[in-house]
Amino acid sequence: MEPREHITHEEFSFRKYAWRQFKKNKIALFSLYILGFLVFVAVFADLIATDQPLYARYRGKTFFPAFQVLVNPTHTDSVWNESTGTWEKIQFDIAPWKQMKLESAVWAPIAYSPDKSDRYNRDFVGPFDEQVYKNPDGEIVPVPWYFRHYLGTNQIGQDVAAGLVHGTRISLSVGLVAVGIAAIIGIILGALAGFFGDSGLKSRRGQFWGAVLGLFFGFFYGFMVRGYAILDGINAGMLQGLWQVFLSLLLFAVILLAFTWLGKHLLGRLPWFRNPTTVPVDSVISRLIEIMNSMPRLLLILTIASLFKDKSIFLIMAILGLTSWTGIARFTRAELLRTRSLEYIQAARALGYNKRRIIFGHALPNSLAPVFISISFGIAAAILAESSLSFLGIGVPDDVVTWGSLLSAGRTHYDAWWMVVFPGFAIFLTVTIYTIIGEALRDALDPRLKQ
Amino acid sequence: MWQYILKRILQFIPTLILISLLAFAISVAAPGDPVERLLNAAQQEGAIGSQRVATEKLKAELRHRLGLDLPLFYFSIGTMADPDTLYRFPDKAHRAMLQRLTRHYGNWPYVERYYHTINAAIDTVSHFGAAQAKRLSTEEKDRLLRVQFDLRSLQELESHDLIIHKLQSITRLLDTAQLAVLLPIARKVKSAYEAILNHPEKWRAYIPRLIWYGTRNQYHVWLFGNQPWFRENTDPSKERRGVLRGDFGISFRDQQPVIKRIIERFPWSFTLSIFSVFFAYLIAIPIGIYSAYRRDSWFDRASSVTLFILYSLPSFFVGTLLLVIFANPDVLDWFPEGGVQDPAIFDPNWPLWQKIQHWAPYLVLPLITYTYGSFAFLSRQMRVAMLDVINQDFIRTARAKGLPERVVVLKHVLRNSLLPIITIFSNIFPMAIGGSIIIETIFSIPGMGLEIYQSILNYDYPMIVAVFTIFGVLTLIGYLFADIMYAVVDPRISYGKK
Repeated sequence: MEPREHITHEEFSFRKYAWRQFKKNKIALFSLYILGFLVFVAVFADLIATDQPLYARYRGKTFFPAFQVLVNPTHTDSVWNESTGTWEKIQFDIAPWKQMKLESAVWAPIAYSPDKSDRYNRDFVGPFDEQVYKNPDGEIVPVPWYFRHYLGTNQIGQDVAAGLVHGTRISLSVGLVAVGIAAIIGIILGALAGFFGDSGLKSRRGQFWGAVLGLFFGFFYGFMVRGYAILDGINAGMLQGLWQVFLSLLLFAVILLAFTWLGKHLLGRLPWFRNPTTVPVDSVISRLIEIMNSMPRLLLILTIASLFKDKSIFLIMAILGLTSWTGIARFTRAELLRTRSLEYIQAARALGYNKRRIIFGHALPNSLAPVFISISFGIAAAILAESSLSFLGIGVPDDVVTWGSLLSAGRTHYDAWWMVVFPGFAIFLTVTIYTIIGEALRDALDPRLKQ
Repeated sequence: MWQYILKRILQFIPTLILISLLAFAISVAAPGDPVERLLNAAQQEGAIGSQRVATEKLKAELRHRLGLDLPLFYFSIGTMADPDTLYRFPDKAHRAMLQRLTRHYGNWPYVERYYHTINAAIDTVSHFGAAQAKRLSTEEKDRLLRVQFDLRSLQELESHDLIIHKLQSITRLLDTAQLAVLLPIARKVKSAYEAILNHPEKWRAYIPRLIWYGTRNQYHVWLFGNQPWFRENTDPSKERRGVLRGDFGISFRDQQPVIKRIIERFPWSFTLSIFSVFFAYLIAIPIGIYSAYRRDSWFDRASSVTLFILYSLPSFFVGTLLLVIFANPDVLDWFPEGGVQDPAIFDPNWPLWQKIQHWAPYLVLPLITYTYGSFAFLSRQMRVAMLDVINQDFIRTARAKGLPERVVVLKHVLRNSLLPIITIFSNIFPMAIGGSIIIETIFSIPGMGLEIYQSILNYDYPMIVAVFTIFGVLTLIGYLFADIMYAVVDPRISYGKK
């Protein structure tokens, strides 16, 4: 062990090297800061844009409505009203805080919630137009600066800035979840295709046919017999649907493994089934990628989204993820094609490690660099796709405010330029920083592209 | 080379079959009943009356015409419980109920009997209502109507609790002096349902079974049609020619042939994409060449940043912004705000030149929106490809030979960096058939994109399946075309035997 310590891991760590390279790109580093800011906005959206004060003193009692509404399930509290001599009930998310006689208050930077409409500033009030509000004395007066709709309102008086802040959460999570799904599918399929190629996966005929039978029966019992259970689950709610799908997948996996095992050990006793056969993994997966790429993607997403009666943002994430894994799969495949013939993989083989350990423990971790790049570009593409869908009004529930749905309102009302410019800029900014980060990652991680 | 092309074309076939199958599967999973939708559309136009019998007959005819009275595919994998004639039941909701009950209890004969009992009960009740119309009070008539309504909902209900609830409600409704005659019918329905519960064969639902239907199925008819191939068609009821003969079926929206609509709409999208690619080349290639040639000059830097920004601007943002600025009476009213022609002025008899003059202002903004993204992409690709080539030895050799700089750049470097140009070009046709859903929606251009968008909103699946299929074919042809062109441009690429 001693002599090895001379060259420590740290000195030659690829990760550190790549991070140093990345840091040299000032624009990329700056983009990373902006991304950090967007993540901050997304996480704390409920405190940045809310019509409830962060702190308020009312009738001698101290409230933290914006915080309390997050932790207090009933959203209510009561306060002693001395003038009437009764307990006054306050429901935090409904109370007209701006019209209440607060002794002191600290308001959120944007003092509006995205889903509530301001009846005094309806019909597209612009950022520089005259804005009014009803003060605690019941008079309609010009708003103080901290109650202004900084970026204007839409037709029913919803605050655009608040919509943007809360839309950040949706956009970022759609990008993350969709690409997460795509990455799982793409990395696994790409790794199998690249590592085994067309001749690398050899098995006994018995095992092969056992697996084929297992696929059939796994599908039959997992998804046909349990089809109605899954359907009922989905209709009952997202979580129950996912749970039922998970159970089905589990059943599928168990049946598949059982049949494969039986095929190997029972069928494998017969002479014909004992002979080895090769499974053309690469051909099958490459064909699958070709098929996915030969379909118009936006049309596919729109069509699948229109199949479901209930619109939901999770559905959009899932559809986007299930249709966009091909890029990641191709990158992983190409990278593993290269890696599999390297000496250290040969060494692992010679040591008799099993294939799963070689692929997921040795080959994949060293081939993930290009995958990170395509994940970064993929997030940009997913955010763009989600906003396109919201823009077209397909797939995203009507009551959810997203950047795309804000923009689509501007399509019909040309006067309301703020409905076009600000959401459009938000989308542009997010897509751009992900693209810049992706390009910087490519320069930093891919030594072949460096001069 | 020819061998390679032939091999590639043969490889297309399974891919295309899978694409069409996938599109077909999506169309089957679509919610609602297409016949129902078509009839509703026709009814809104006042084409047919609301007589129930007439409607049933019309439904049957329509189902036959659309080929929906056939099984879906050559075979189906189901359970032992599933009947092999379920596709014959006309109503989609009824089919769902029957399928679900049989999957649950596994005894199809009893389920079928239950269904027929309900049908018979509906007939009896409506006959009774018609025959006794004069003797019944309005309250009783109302009760009778509600009984019919309950019976009809039984045809679609699968949940045990709801069925029991409906059965009880029917019995309660019939419990008057005049209507008590009908009580045995309600009892019959109830006992038919109880028979299902009492004779469960649930094990049947756990055993897989393959049912073979042969070539009389929806997919086969969609692909090959039902007219004979080499003889004159004598049977007027057989009007499907099949995709292989260019017939993509009938639109669910207006019963027009899908292919006719595509031919109507396609020219707009095609014109837009041809022009946009032309302009993209016109702008992008010189920029790409120049910025690669003068690498790191201020022009290179400025154009890189500009192109990067253009590339990441979402097209729906740019399109809307262009409308807000250039088609807005309050800002600049330079262009019309949408559509392709002014129906008040446009005259189809105009000479072509005048038509083009009329159309041109409508197409400027869409064209800009169509073009900016691809030219940004193309210039960036061009620059990278040129940089790859420009430092290579054979370029130095060309210069050393004393060739003029123009010849070196335009002949030697350019020729070797044509790959991105080819790639973009091979995408023109699929782009045109897919249209750009977003751009055509923003500018209301009656091209394929808008057509697809409306088809999706209206669940017009024959159209969607057609677009998927044609798009797939064109994409694959585009790939092949690109591969061949790569070999033509770069002699080092060869697809022959190594």
